[in-house]
Amino acid sequence: MSDQQTPNTVTFTLDGQEVTVPKGTTILRAAESIGIKIPHYCFHPGLSSPAMCRLCLVEVEGWPRMAPSCKETAQDGMVVFTNSELAQKQRTGVLEFYLVNHPLDCPICDQSGECDLQDYVFEEGREHGRGREPKRVLGRDDFGGDVLFNGDRCVMCTRCVRFMREVAEDERLCVVERGNRAVIDTFFEEGLEGSPYAGNIIDICPVGALISKDFLHKARAWDLDRTPSVCPSCSQGCNITLQVRDDLVQRLKPRENLEVNGWWMCDFGRHNYEWMNRTDRTEVPMVRGQEVGWADALGDLLQALKDAKESVKAVTWAHAPNEEMGLLSGLLAELGGGEVVYRSPRTEGEVPLPGFPLLARREDLAPNVNGAEIFGFRRVGDNNSQGGLDELAGHDGVLIVVGDPIEDYGEDFGSKAELYVYLGSYQSKTASNAHFVLPITTFAEQEGTYTNVQGRVQRFWPGVRSPASARPGWLILGALVAELTGTEAPVSADQAFAKIAEKTSEFGGITYRDLGPRGAVAGKPAGVSGD
Amino acid sequence: MSEARKIPFRNPGWAGNTGEFDLTEAQVRGDEYVGKRPPEGGHASGASTYPYMLAERDPEAPIFDGPFKERLEKIRSRYPDARSALLPALGMAQELRGYLSPETMEQVAGLLDLSPAYVRGVATFYTMYNKRPVGRFLIQVCTNISCGICGGDDVLQAFLNNTETELGETSEDGNFTVIEAECLAGCGFPTTVQINSRYYENVMPKDVPEILERLKAQGE
Repeated sequence: MSDQQTPNTVTFTLDGQEVTVPKGTTILRAAESIGIKIPHYCFHPGLSSPAMCRLCLVEVEGWPRMAPSCKETAQDGMVVFTNSELAQKQRTGVLEFYLVNHPLDCPICDQSGECDLQDYVFEEGREHGRGREPKRVLGRDDFGGDVLFNGDRCVMCTRCVRFMREVAEDERLCVVERGNRAVIDTFFEEGLEGSPYAGNIIDICPVGALISKDFLHKARAWDLDRTPSVCPSCSQGCNITLQVRDDLVQRLKPRENLEVNGWWMCDFGRHNYEWMNRTDRTEVPMVRGQEVGWADALGDLLQALKDAKESVKAVTWAHAPNEEMGLLSGLLAELGGGEVVYRSPRTEGEVPLPGFPLLARREDLAPNVNGAEIFGFRRVGDNNSQGGLDELAGHDGVLIVVGDPIEDYGEDFGSKAELYVYLGSYQSKTASNAHFVLPITTFAEQEGTYTNVQGRVQRFWPGVRSPASARPGWLILGALVAELTGTEAPVSADQAFAKIAEKTSEFGGITYRDLGPRGAVAGKPAGVSGD
Repeated sequence: MSEARKIPFRNPGWAGNTGEFDLTEAQVRGDEYVGKRPPEGGHASGASTYPYMLAERDPEAPIFDGPFKERLEKIRSRYPDARSALLPALGMAQELRGYLSPETMEQVAGLLDLSPAYVRGVATFYTMYNKRPVGRFLIQVCTNISCGICGGDDVLQAFLNNTETELGETSEDGNFTVIEAECLAGCGFPTTVQINSRYYENVMPKDVPEILERLKAQGE
């Protein structure tokens, strides 16, 4: 590291290691870059640093007193100790003060297990406190929206106040009173109702002071399986984590990606997850009303597709991943061409996050509208993703439905079709005429990619187990295409993606390896992002 | 322990009215100095440091209207942004209305283009802004270290008993509000009591009824 020193870098010693970082890097960030975690509350990479929690103080050789590492920039020749006796003693002391009024109600606290106070005290706190005085009690406050405030647990880091001021630019929170009586509050009864990004203050709260009403007492943090994913609620494609317990999605949390959503996501996306837990699923492949195995179903379907003489029409939706769309497009090409239409909900006006201009709740309320446009699908239907399929409903040729349960049409949908294939995750009355009903997995159950509004292709991973017989749409479509073309069928999502990337210039040259956890825009180098 | 050495200290007690309590401000400062105070303030440099309590405070008074609006503009002209003018603006509001109600905070926020929550945060941080209506006489009894060891708590209790109020409440006749204060910087003369803008030093519990009588007479 040190041999690359230039005028724009500084080299200093951190816990005995020589570190070279760009000029202006704080000690805390420099330490993170070599894997040393300095405990902190008030610092958050997306917010300003007031250096008020006094937990990140480090010892600097020759300095008369300790320095707040979140604010102090590294300088040439500095010798910093994050773990000296003094630094440890300081943290232990500060933590003791933090616990003076803390209720220690970890057993009933939702933050337990992912709480910075719990972690730090576990690591470096005193074995027992020396306070004998009764604890100050502030009680709880309903901030409106999804946010519940528990004043006794608060460590006064003011991350929430600064988020509302600097990022949401809707300064509704403040520190009321001072000293021992200080408490976070809104303007009397104003609350946070109607603030579209207020849910983020729950994420950035390092302790259990701000908690989600939606998640209240639903699961313990350590019982949740966390899977990286992409928010399916609009075409922004915020990077998220699916947090799952017992194969049910319990909550969505934003995942850092400086190119897309920073550390944030909107409340609309955050709370739009119940549909992932729908139970009215298609479970087994059905051919003309009979349950059959996958091999028979695909064999029959292949024969039926070859025998069909009439034109092909297909419908999908903007929740389908790129792989599914690409292979559907490929299948139609092999069947002699035909039009694919898709439907997607849409709303008027974006909901931007002023402090992070890349992020906005977009007008298209589905994740892969851009993907559908890339594959040349035609958009039909209204802004509620309804209607627009009258022509298909009465189509007398081959009708293929992928994904969209088409719940707004009646039982006679596809009744005139020569061959009606329904690849769907959900049971639907419009599938009652289908000759083939093939269960496919939802986005939460499979691997795949979405193309967001920026043209960025982003991967998501399976976080929930699917019904035993459901298969990813790309696997089924890929097998059909492979049989028709005499090539090898893709057996993994990255093979499926490679197959569509061959034929689609927008994805040209990208592989799953390039995408990584943060995605990439075709033709642009993969974005550099934080950890 | 009963034989503990007694500290040779004797509180002389409140000196009583040494004359200055009956003086008007004009008499103290001289007419030329005090002059006639225009509600719109004088020069901008002094517009924010304009300390006087109106004899009658009206919680419904229109704030920042007419001449007061002019004074606010003078205050604002002294700072690069509106946020800095918040303290004097709140001070003005309290001057006119006697305390800062949520509505007042909201009005001030609207005038300075700040968020009401921010104004509330500032107003509650400073103890010299009253967040509740106070009586004609705001009695602040110091119970900090020096006054505390010389019996500040007893003086506080005496004030509460004699005004028949609870801490922070206003007596029924609207005359008195008794609150505890942190150090009033009168440590040489414990117990120090600040009543509106005047200091009463060396106050002992026995002095309290006399002080209150005097204030009552002043209030009528």
